[in-house]
Amino acid sequence: MPSRSRALLCALSLLLIACGGPGARTTADTVRVATEAATAGPIDLTDDLGATIHLTRPAKRIVSLIPSATESLIAIGAAPLLVGRTRYDTASAIASIPSVGGGIDPSLEAIVQLEPDLVVGWGTDARAGLRARLASAGIPMFSLATEDTSDIFRGIRNLGRLTGRDSAAGDVARSIRATLDSVRQSVAGKPTPRVMYVVFADPPMTAGPRTFIGQLIGLAGGKSIFDDVSANWPNVAMEEIVRRDPDLLIVPVGEFKQNTLERFRGLAGWRSLRAVRDRRVVAVSADLLSRPSPSIAQSAKVLRDAIHPDLVSAAPGAR
Amino acid sequence: MFGGRLRAQSELAWPVSLRLLLLAVLAVVAVIGAVRLGAVSLSTAAVLDAIRGRGDDATITIVRELRLPRALQAALAGAALAVSGATFQALLRNPLAEPYILGVSSGAAVGAVSTVVTGWAVRFVWALPTAAFVGAVLSMLLVFRIAFSVGRALDTRVLLLAGVVVSAFLVAITWLMLTFADTDAVRSAIFWMMGSHANASWRSVGILLTCLLPALAILFALARPLNLLAIGETTAAYLGASVERTKLVAFATATLLTAASVSVSGTIGFVGLVVPHAIRLIWGGDNRALLPCSALAGATFLVAADTVSRSLAGANELPIGIVTALVGVPCFVWLLRRPTAGFAS
Repeated sequence: MPSRSRALLCALSLLLIACGGPGARTTADTVRVATEAATAGPIDLTDDLGATIHLTRPAKRIVSLIPSATESLIAIGAAPLLVGRTRYDTASAIASIPSVGGGIDPSLEAIVQLEPDLVVGWGTDARAGLRARLASAGIPMFSLATEDTSDIFRGIRNLGRLTGRDSAAGDVARSIRATLDSVRQSVAGKPTPRVMYVVFADPPMTAGPRTFIGQLIGLAGGKSIFDDVSANWPNVAMEEIVRRDPDLLIVPVGEFKQNTLERFRGLAGWRSLRAVRDRRVVAVSADLLSRPSPSIAQSAKVLRDAIHPDLVSAAPGAR
Repeated sequence: MFGGRLRAQSELAWPVSLRLLLLAVLAVVAVIGAVRLGAVSLSTAAVLDAIRGRGDDATITIVRELRLPRALQAALAGAALAVSGATFQALLRNPLAEPYILGVSSGAAVGAVSTVVTGWAVRFVWALPTAAFVGAVLSMLLVFRIAFSVGRALDTRVLLLAGVVVSAFLVAITWLMLTFADTDAVRSAIFWMMGSHANASWRSVGILLTCLLPALAILFALARPLNLLAIGETTAAYLGASVERTKLVAFATATLLTAASVSVSGTIGFVGLVVPHAIRLIWGGDNRALLPCSALAGATFLVAADTVSRSLAGANELPIGIVTALVGVPCFVWLLRRPTAGFAS
């Protein structure tokens, strides 16, 4: 399962790039501490595609089509409200609730049968069709478009609003920020190794500077060798990787537990890199790193430990 | 070098040795260009230095580990596909014949995709090319088994139909596997199916060369019987060709050649169809000249297309099949429309 959500994320981001998505990004960057009490009244909220969702009361039966949103819902204590998930979800807390298929291509019948009062779905234009069909069944869909960390915080806040758990959402956001700050402080003043995050090795794909991965690498005390690219998940030429010659490769490893270093030592181009010759290839859990969810706090620590192995046990926030 | 019993319209054209010399020079120029051009352009002097191990590490790696094996693999695959295509066109007496017509690519795809879906392709570098080759050979055997079970002799029409239906069946199996695969696997598989020389290595060049040399020797030796077959199988038999043996050996060799090419670089369309036609339009259809000329022209064409595919879009790479079609089709139409092409009358 692990690498699937990452793949979904990539597929989503490719779609987002393809459609340009001007409406996919709302402005809010800072997270206001939610002071509203858990309301029982009607909720009007604008989603990441600019559509306004109206709920007469906080959602009680939710189908989440986005594994990272599912994690956010669990984090804010809304797991009991979930009635449907995708086949890509791995959290044990919701293993028993039914799956409606893939997040991009769910079974509409399965969703309708669960009688949800809210569906949380991907913010891609392909989903406009799903939104319309759900609307005709009387089910509102809230779309999330998540690329960078501010999108993640906005998503948590919005999910808090929709479930009437604003203060829990605020607590989760504060806790994530605290961890991110401690990671940032732990690498202050340290040299910044030049890092390549290898989303795919063949053909090579990396994470751009405006993705949450790109941001977390900087926060964790590294410098991405592809921080000048404009795409979020760019395919990059092997020659360009050889020319930029990173100090360190960080490789998300999925369900196939291959020996990452040995694999790179066998691939043309890769094996000539200094990082591979010096055995500076770090495998990280694709399952963890792929999710733009509250788990970015943990991801930041994992990346920091990968980039600065000397800090693994010393620094605060290492555990 | 080659006598001309079966001269086509271009009686006045250059002697065969001169044509081959010209095409060989073009192929060498294409390879040099391929090694010089890319995301970073290099001077010829820098390339020569890098080949001898001088200069900075990045340039040496780019030239010796990336560009040179890649250019050579493209050249060998281009030669293999063009010769294989020319052979199929002669054997099947069908202008639409091309290297993949008997389902080789679909068989290779089943093999390749099965390793991608099961994760073997990630764990073992050799798994995907090996499975692709095995899949291609098995699909070839299946096609021949079906063709032979229909009549006593090998009927090329039956063979064509068997190729089409086996291919359709294998394509369905490929998509069936991909339907249940995760998105990573689908991406890798589709990238492979579009064809690319990005994974070229000295090992793949060595393997391809080992397959190419004996195959070319066999097919060049069959050039005369292939010429006779072009007239018609009965006539060829009267003229002393051992028709069935020629067909079998030529089919098997051309198919294995295609399988070797597909297993290292995926399915690259258009080269095997159009290069032999282009040579035929310019210099006539005598297989004794057509086959070696196609080999050199196919090599040049694919090296040039690969260079364009990786230098046109910056850090991104275009699928090579897009380049072969976008560049190749206009050139081919131009050739077809020339007054001397011989298709008008």
